[in-house]
Amino acid sequence: MMAEVAVLGCGAFVPGFDGLSGWASGKPSTEHDTPKAEIVPLRQRRRSSLLSKALADAYADALAESELDPSSVASVFGSAIGEASTMVGLLDQMWSDAAMLSPMRFATSVHNAASGMVSIATENRGITTAMGADHDTPAMALLEGFGLALAKGESVVVCCGDEAPPEDLVPEGVGWTLMTAAIVLCPASRAPASSPRLSEIAITPANLQLPKADPPPPMLDSIRRNPNIGLLDLVVAIQRGIDGVLSLDQGAGRGYSIRLAGSAR
Amino acid sequence: MSPTPYPITGFAMCNAIGSNRHQVRQSLFDGRSGLGASPIDLPFDTLVGAVDMALPKLPPALEGWTTRSTQIAAHLLEDLAAELDRLRDRWRPDRIAVLLGTSTGGADATESAYRHYLSTGSLPNDYDLFRHHTFGAILHVVRELSGASGPSWMVSTACTSSAKPLATAQRLISAGAIDAAIVGGIDTLCSMTLHGFRSLDALSKGVCRPFCADRDGLNIGEGGAFLLVERSGDPVALLEGVGESSDAYHISAPHPEGLGARLAMERALEQAGCSASSVGHVNAHGTGTRLNDVSEAAAIEEIFGREVPVISSKGYTGHMLGAAGAGEVAMAIVTLMEGWIPGSLGAAPIDEKIEIRINETRLDERVRRVVSNSFAFGGNNISVVIGAPT
Repeated sequence: MMAEVAVLGCGAFVPGFDGLSGWASGKPSTEHDTPKAEIVPLRQRRRSSLLSKALADAYADALAESELDPSSVASVFGSAIGEASTMVGLLDQMWSDAAMLSPMRFATSVHNAASGMVSIATENRGITTAMGADHDTPAMALLEGFGLALAKGESVVVCCGDEAPPEDLVPEGVGWTLMTAAIVLCPASRAPASSPRLSEIAITPANLQLPKADPPPPMLDSIRRNPNIGLLDLVVAIQRGIDGVLSLDQGAGRGYSIRLAGSAR
Repeated sequence: MSPTPYPITGFAMCNAIGSNRHQVRQSLFDGRSGLGASPIDLPFDTLVGAVDMALPKLPPALEGWTTRSTQIAAHLLEDLAAELDRLRDRWRPDRIAVLLGTSTGGADATESAYRHYLSTGSLPNDYDLFRHHTFGAILHVVRELSGASGPSWMVSTACTSSAKPLATAQRLISAGAIDAAIVGGIDTLCSMTLHGFRSLDALSKGVCRPFCADRDGLNIGEGGAFLLVERSGDPVALLEGVGESSDAYHISAPHPEGLGARLAMERALEQAGCSASSVGHVNAHGTGTRLNDVSEAAAIEEIFGREVPVISSKGYTGHMLGAAGAGEVAMAIVTLMEGWIPGSLGAAPIDEKIEIRINETRLDERVRRVVSNSFAFGGNNISVVIGAPT
């Protein structure tokens, strides 16, 4: 198990809920069906995909709670399939319409589209990365975040999410629906006094025999199939001040878990 | 921060100029380009750097994961068989990570499947998103074939994808999470990237000519490179420093003065704890586009001055996109091992706005330290300092 890091902020975007608190309380809201991505200037926002905007919303909420300087935090963006829908759109443009591809759409088809968009919007010249590991995406993104926090002393936003896979590419009943979640990590010894200290967490590849965290709130099956559901479960557990061990995958991953040291509020 | 340099204890690569490191070394020595006609049918003219070799079949248990990317991965692991045997003897499997990078992943397989779908109304029977498209497919095959069972993920930051895992490996070893890592990346040619770079008006009409006054764009290439990074061991080279930065400027154009590039190089030198004057050679990102080469040259000049020999290897292999970072670090290791610096193909006559020393022909000079640059869409930048073993 790696050393503990402090959690300074959490955020989420789930369509139909008002951010993380709306989701955790289970109260739907029709005003929050689509991501707003207000952290991103309008011109850039118009060119962004649904996924990038949803990642930007979770990122912005978590960062706002941490009260850290947006231009100086590192970031890790995780996604299992990334901009697969954008890719299918480009293939349609290329083959069905026999048209020249849109250069802007091509430039934002990369897996690090949200990472680049957010770094530009926040004028952040620090470290940002984008990654994926199928259903282990949240666990591996957190490990990348732990590495940045522990080895480089960086505060880091870990932000994961996936939109629904293109329906032409997956059999019926296998897909999932959009969700994103984000968490701000910091070396426990370096947490700024001005930031809230929500919890301390450590990651482990083993299923330790520790008390299990409370189960997450009941959810739609289609959201629970999202490869990033583990990160949403984690930020809900942190918001509730839970102690215990929380699995980061729902059986399709490699068994990574998070140990939460409870509320430090 | 200046951590102990970690040893790179083995490496393998394949690309348009060779199916293994020895062939690549010979092509670099001979100044032979691997650029040629595209194996993909395209409605426009461009040259590409294709991997031209029979790729291995995956073993029966992994047959369902067969794609060009996983076959290239299998080939690189075959090339590293002896080093991997030693790695497994030395470290626990769960302490060996698989940290790779790609920009295309299984996009070529999905392109084929989607084309089939458009013409027949159904996907091919054997197509599976999680076995052929997503990053987990390549990771699964590499874990199974190598025996590494530690953390594994795929970085995908466009053209910096396969260099960034070097930084991750360094951090995870330093944090005590792992003892060793298989690091690197793979990218394969696919229609969408070729069409996409054409839409950006970034493709050369002929052979790319990085730093040349007459340059008109890049050629897309494919390939892969794996490097073994360990906590300790017998090095072929040392991973001395890695610097990462963001331009915070534009999604697809570099910062005009190379601000992000300069920050990445400065941070890499700072982490390595070495001065710019101790660097004997820079393997530039050098794509051959009008914008990149001028801004990168300005950043290199600001840090290293005008005397350090600089090359771009894109004239040999094309731009391998997600595989470029690791592939070019592997080529940098070759220059450290061999005692010569390859020529930068197609550079003459050099652009008057570029005042750094572009190495036009092979230079017989033994250097002790190389910086390798990779820059990407999103304004993502990385520089890697590689040193000769002491």
